[in-house]
Amino acid sequence: MSEITPAGASVARGRYAIVLRIGALLALLGVPLATNDYLQYVVNLILIYCLVAVGFNIVLGYIGQLAFANAAFFGIGAYTVGILMEHLAVPFWIALAAAGVVGTIVGALVGLPALRLKGYYLAIMTLVFGELMRWSYIHADKITKGSSGLPIPTANAFGFTLGTDTRKYYACLAITLFMLWTTRNLVRSRIGRAWVAIRENELAAASLGFSPALYKIAAFAWSGAVVGIAGAMFALVLGRIAPESFNLSQLLLHFTIVMIGGLGSIAGSVVGAVILTSAPELLRNFPGLEEIFFSILLIAVLLFMPRGIGGLLMTRMAGMRERLFRE
Amino acid sequence: MALLELKNVSVHFAGLTALSGVTFDVVPGQVCAVIGPNGAGKSTLFNAITGYVAPSQGSVRFDGRNIAGRAPHIIAASGVRRTFQNGGVFGDMTVLENVLTGLNQQTDSHPIGLLVNLGRSVIAEKEAVQKAHSLLELMGLSDHANRVTADLSSGQQRIVEITRALAAHTRLLLLDEPAVGLAASERDHLMTVLRSLAEDGIAILLVEHVIDLVMAVSDRIVVLNQGEVIASGTPEEIRSHDAVIEAYLGYH
Repeated sequence: MSEITPAGASVARGRYAIVLRIGALLALLGVPLATNDYLQYVVNLILIYCLVAVGFNIVLGYIGQLAFANAAFFGIGAYTVGILMEHLAVPFWIALAAAGVVGTIVGALVGLPALRLKGYYLAIMTLVFGELMRWSYIHADKITKGSSGLPIPTANAFGFTLGTDTRKYYACLAITLFMLWTTRNLVRSRIGRAWVAIRENELAAASLGFSPALYKIAAFAWSGAVVGIAGAMFALVLGRIAPESFNLSQLLLHFTIVMIGGLGSIAGSVVGAVILTSAPELLRNFPGLEEIFFSILLIAVLLFMPRGIGGLLMTRMAGMRERLFRE
Repeated sequence: MALLELKNVSVHFAGLTALSGVTFDVVPGQVCAVIGPNGAGKSTLFNAITGYVAPSQGSVRFDGRNIAGRAPHIIAASGVRRTFQNGGVFGDMTVLENVLTGLNQQTDSHPIGLLVNLGRSVIAEKEAVQKAHSLLELMGLSDHANRVTADLSSGQQRIVEITRALAAHTRLLLLDEPAVGLAASERDHLMTVLRSLAEDGIAILLVEHVIDLVMAVSDRIVVLNQGEVIASGTPEEIRSHDAVIEAYLGYH
């Protein structure tokens, strides 16, 4: 509790926040009442891209590294689930956890070169890694079934069959909320502050007694975990994964979501994911409009809010700045 | 007993000698200033002590242990903190968050505990926030705690950087030109702060061009010229030292 604000105001604000949160949660739980199968599928994709963007944002926005292995993390999570479920009949929840673990490990490994490489060099290296992974999915066709795609068996969880989009939604919602919550907890701690410190001035960060190398690896590892989990959800929601889902245009989509949402803003990434995942689906009946919409949106963001929607909210609305500490 | 002992420290960059045989001590509770013309090696000296440059020769002992050539964050973790000539605050963070980064190693929260908000880790985090608030109050920055640091005057940013450097169990504080860009009133405030820190037993090593401030605040002065110590002593001794007058102070 803050000492500066009067206790009464703080309690009132706390109650208001709790009511708001319960309301939001009820609204989220009620989403399937307002959707058909197709819309529900789009909503499920939105949840996935929330995590894709938040995970990418850790590397791009919080620790400020120009690393583009995000589509690779996404694919690795998806293929981990696919291979474990299809070939080894591993239950979905265990495969999901495995995707998180594999994502963490791959993330940490991708973080290693970031200790030496900077800027364009790191960007190129991570792009090459992403393409190498895509090449591997195509050519390791004994286990990935190559370009034709790997089918994902219907998942079971705690006695329920995750067969319908509505059931997949509740599973994805729980996973997404948990990952967003943990990520926000990390950002609002000494770990998140160390990340931002390294982004702002790495030499000065080292003068404060913590190892920039260690925190960089941690950022990549957590990014890999979050995006790997998103990949696992992707496998669940699509029911079939193919190498083309993890190519450069997929990466460009991830990047655009983060930029439009705003570097270093979790809320911005969520908003960006909602807009950029739903717009193409909603505009599907108007061929050509999709490209125009994206172009105008990107130009508008770059011209009028270079720090994205999150940055705009932070500067225009008091109290919207995302803090790096807990009160 | 000396807290920091430099013995015969030399730094060479590709044939260029930046520091040559530098030897001096810094004692707890004292302000020691390093002065000298531009290019004398003052910043290299700071970098050699704090691990940003590895000395080519000689030893740097802090609290009896040789720290020469160790990584900056390891030296910092042992209680040596510094500020930067060009300003090392994190502009995008608030003042409070800046100070909290200085407390990073003292915040006893576990990564797993942080992830899922476990009690002990959350308490450690909240305690760090309380400590940062009390430090800000001590340094007269309370009103600015929640302001974005880049919006502050450069003088206030210097004070934020010093506060951040002090947040940990700092025993040796190195300040690289802290008075640059300060208004006269801010400069007076800085002097008061430095003297009270020294009274608390912190050893302060100061690089500064504002000679009035150096003379007023220092217990000892070391004069560098072309990478070598040409004189050291009390402000009175330095003021009347022939070689110093010739090389640096520039008056007769």
